Amino acid sequence: MKVTLRTDVLTNNNRAAEFNRDLFQTTKTLVINLMSSPGAGKTTLLEETVRVLSGKYRIAVIEGDLATEKDADRIRAMGAKAVQINTHGGCHLDARMVAAALGEFDFEEIDILFIENVGNLVCPSGYDLGQNHKVAVLSVPEGNDKIPKYPQMFMRTELVLLNKIDLLPYLDFSVEEARQDLMEINPESTLIPVSARTREGLHEWFFWIEGAYAKCVQQ
Amino acid sequence: MHEMSLMGDIIQLVQEDAAVNGLGKIEKIELIVGDIANAMPDALKMAFDIFRDQNPHIFSETAELVIHLEEAKAKCVLCDSEYRPEQKIALCPSCNIPSGKVLAGETFQVLSYEGSNR
Repeated sequence: MKVTLRTDVLTNNNRAAEFNRDLFQTTKTLVINLMSSPGAGKTTLLEETVRVLSGKYRIAVIEGDLATEKDADRIRAMGAKAVQINTHGGCHLDARMVAAALGEFDFEEIDILFIENVGNLVCPSGYDLGQNHKVAVLSVPEGNDKIPKYPQMFMRTELVLLNKIDLLPYLDFSVEEARQDLMEINPESTLIPVSARTREGLHEWFFWIEGAYAKCVQQ
Repeated sequence: MHEMSLMGDIIQLVQEDAAVNGLGKIEKIELIVGDIANAMPDALKMAFDIFRDQNPHIFSETAELVIHLEEAKAKCVLCDSEYRPEQKIALCPSCNIPSGKVLAGETFQVLSYEGSNR
């Protein structure tokens, strides 16, 4: 017997994402899903973000990695609550893994939750986690070709943080070319050049977060 | 990449529905996979073969996976021309302006399956 389903393959993920989204909306928590290649500097960016913004917002972090608690420990050292999800080989976080970690937090006591996805420029882009915003981090040493080579990531993110701009004098990276490529893939996306190490440009990222938070609380 | 776990999701969806319909072994699964849906058809086929060979209680020996490819398609909001987006997804080839919106190619669905009557 043939049965027609026409069901989205990610149905179960999307159901869990809606469950997460309901909780985030009810508790007015701003949730940002941060994605990049391994080594682009997501954790360093989050360390700086937690350090600067935790006077103003109550921040929590979910860290996704194949193994180890290293990243969660780095965030805890900056004074924020952090929960580590180990995917044991899995190349991305899915909404069910995030849902399973939510019990660790009291969302009445949290303003902003960052979800640092597994370092991978392909797989995480397809999974809705229930976040308000998807943000990509690209770093200067990765090269200009990464935006056109991974369009499926950049078509689904609304902000790209171009990290490690302190290395621009030493490498052949063109910020203008990156902006142009990004606009031709996703004209609604913004690019903010930053250096988590020298803190250059980070105020623009913080300003973006403040705007997103104000919008999230109003809803 | 993650085609094994995607195939796990697909088989779970099919198994749950087959149980509701009182069907026995799965004989065929048909998918629709878009060009820009983040899933590679060849890797899905390989994952399917592995699951089938390891789970003779779920699949008939000759069970097959059929993949219908959905070509990516975008339409320019300025000149209305349709094009096949590749790298520069939003860039309309006639206007040379990032004014294209994706119409198709992101679908990733279980279209149907066939199961034996018990």
